[in-house]
Amino acid sequence: MKLWASNNEEDLCKEGNIDPRQIVSDDEVFIRMTLAERLQHVTLITCFLVLVLTGLPLLFDPTVWLQRMFFFEGSFNLRGIIHRTAGVGLILLSLFHIGYMTSTRRGRANLLALIPKLKDITDAFESFNYNLGLTTWLHRKGVLRAFFQAHPYWLFQKPPKYGRYNFIEKFEYLALLWGTLVMIVTGFFLWANNLTFRIFPVWVFDIFRIVHSYEAILAFLSIIIWHLYNVHLNPEVFPMSRIWIDGKITGHELRTLHALEYEELVKKRHNESRL
Amino acid sequence: MGLDRRRDLLFLDLYLFVRIKNLHSLHNGRVHARVRLEIPLIALLLVGATSPWMTAEEEPNSQCYQCHDDETLKDESGRSLFVNKGAFENSIHSKSGFTCVSCHIDLEKVKDFPHATKLKKVDCGSCHGDAQKMFKQSIHAEAKQAPQIKEVTCQSCHGKHDILEKSDVNSKINPLNVAQTCGNCHFTKVKGEKSQAFVKGYLESVHALAVTRSGLANSATCQNCHGSHEVRAPADPRSPVARRQVPYTCGSCHSGILRDYLEGVHGRAFTQNISDVPVCTDCHGEHEIHSPRDKRSAVYSTHVALTCAKCHDNEQLIEKYGLPKGRLRTFRGTFHGLASAYGESKVANCSSCHGFHNIRPSSDSKSPIYPANLPQTCGRCHGGASVKLAAVRIHVLDPKATNYTAYVIQKFYVVLIVIILGSFLIYILGDLKKRMQFTRTE
Repeated sequence: MKLWASNNEEDLCKEGNIDPRQIVSDDEVFIRMTLAERLQHVTLITCFLVLVLTGLPLLFDPTVWLQRMFFFEGSFNLRGIIHRTAGVGLILLSLFHIGYMTSTRRGRANLLALIPKLKDITDAFESFNYNLGLTTWLHRKGVLRAFFQAHPYWLFQKPPKYGRYNFIEKFEYLALLWGTLVMIVTGFFLWANNLTFRIFPVWVFDIFRIVHSYEAILAFLSIIIWHLYNVHLNPEVFPMSRIWIDGKITGHELRTLHALEYEELVKKRHNESRL
Repeated sequence: MGLDRRRDLLFLDLYLFVRIKNLHSLHNGRVHARVRLEIPLIALLLVGATSPWMTAEEEPNSQCYQCHDDETLKDESGRSLFVNKGAFENSIHSKSGFTCVSCHIDLEKVKDFPHATKLKKVDCGSCHGDAQKMFKQSIHAEAKQAPQIKEVTCQSCHGKHDILEKSDVNSKINPLNVAQTCGNCHFTKVKGEKSQAFVKGYLESVHALAVTRSGLANSATCQNCHGSHEVRAPADPRSPVARRQVPYTCGSCHSGILRDYLEGVHGRAFTQNISDVPVCTDCHGEHEIHSPRDKRSAVYSTHVALTCAKCHDNEQLIEKYGLPKGRLRTFRGTFHGLASAYGESKVANCSSCHGFHNIRPSSDSKSPIYPANLPQTCGRCHGGASVKLAAVRIHVLDPKATNYTAYVIQKFYVVLIVIILGSFLIYILGDLKKRMQFTRTE
């Protein structure tokens, strides 16, 4: 699907009287996720799913069908062991990820690109309003004509242009960082409950339990709704974005979905060729 | 005079000696005039009773065996008249010197054989008077309940000619065989199938397995709980299995547990004639009592909560006795309750903290949930946990009042989840709307 391409092309052409597609062709293949990143992603999926599945029964009243999951002697204890093993897996993955993001050049570049900026908030706002098209509709109907002529921004006629990571991806990454940190800390104190009872008042343990439960619900529902929409159900990529498997993105996708990154690349190549 | 007779006389003398000695001690060493009279009387009676044996023929039963040792001997109605000589001679009655005519007394004077076919019924009560008296008060002596059951008589349980001493492992009333003896009727014939299955439940019980697997003759069999000759319906207040009698009946063996029970809240209420209070069978079951380590038991670790909840989650009983509410729900809300409901047997259940037979209120200084005892009680599992743990609230009815911070955090998360997920959904709907618009215009 070709959605926002027209806008971006116009801009680039105006700036330097060049056709960006001659510099970065639509068929050119770029690596958006390296193998190391894809492996981290797959490990995260595994740990996350195992943690959700083995933790979920604790969030509900034990109904008959849930009780049936624990049909053999010691199966509930085994659930705990699997849950904690996956938790350790997540901790190790987090440590590896911290190392990767700080010690490799690519990691550091990604980390910088992931830092949320004011632009991300306005992007979200603009993107939503562009999608909604309410002000455009009002303008067409002749409502607030003078205001819209003076402030065309509020018409939201163009979607925002995104860099390497758009506000959706940045939000997901930050939510993941925050969620993982909270889950690891609270999970640790729930695991070492006797230690927790020794060093904290009892009411703190209750808080750990509540935070661990609700953060889990939040994380699980966010993944189900937000991430799965953006990488699977979104008509743009349906049935699935293949980036997490092969890590590849085409020049066309770069130009349409990550216009700012594309422009930078075009400029860089253009400058290099002139030199 | 045969050797056996001489031995029997020796026993009688011995009996006489013991009887006199007992009387002697009963009266503080002084033999009363009445007793002094009794001694020669007993002696005279015994000598009189035994004298015919000394003069009797060598084989008093030989005449009877001439006909009755024949396995094919039958009366007009086809009933076998065979008497197994070996079995009779092995019986306690034969060994004690009884002959055929000792019981079939209407044949004692008969000299003309074959004798008349219709004989008087043997009256066991002429010797076993006490047993007969008790039996006559029993439910067995009442009218028979099902047409396919013959009248219950002494023979139904004790057998006929082959009666053995109770201590003999082959005796029908030896503890090893009692269940089968009673089961001859109660496993198959009497009452409905439901009742039979209920009675058969005993065979799988810890009591029955102690007998059948471990050969433990002093484990409980039918008559230990129901009585033997005087067996009565459970609804009869004189029955040992009547509700008011159950603790004492079980306590006749489990005396330590009876003591504990009577010390606890349930036992104390029981002695105050409150009949809603649980007795042994309400938690442990009746015939099908299993070990608490057996998954079929109602007091198996993961079943305890539901067993207690039968009363402690019962609206009417809570109302009637002012019991604290929501015990099961609040327990299920904890990790202990959840894990237990999911079948984890090592996690704490009601009895882990409250005790079981001698459950005491938290105001009792002997109670494991008495505030000063809590660190020790929690510490049984949470070794190294501090005294702080004792401040933990398990049955939290009002989370807001118990832990306000946790309550606020919980509410915060609920709001956060609604806001974040709501925003996601709204954005997604907007996104889909725009994409549909593009699809239409293309």
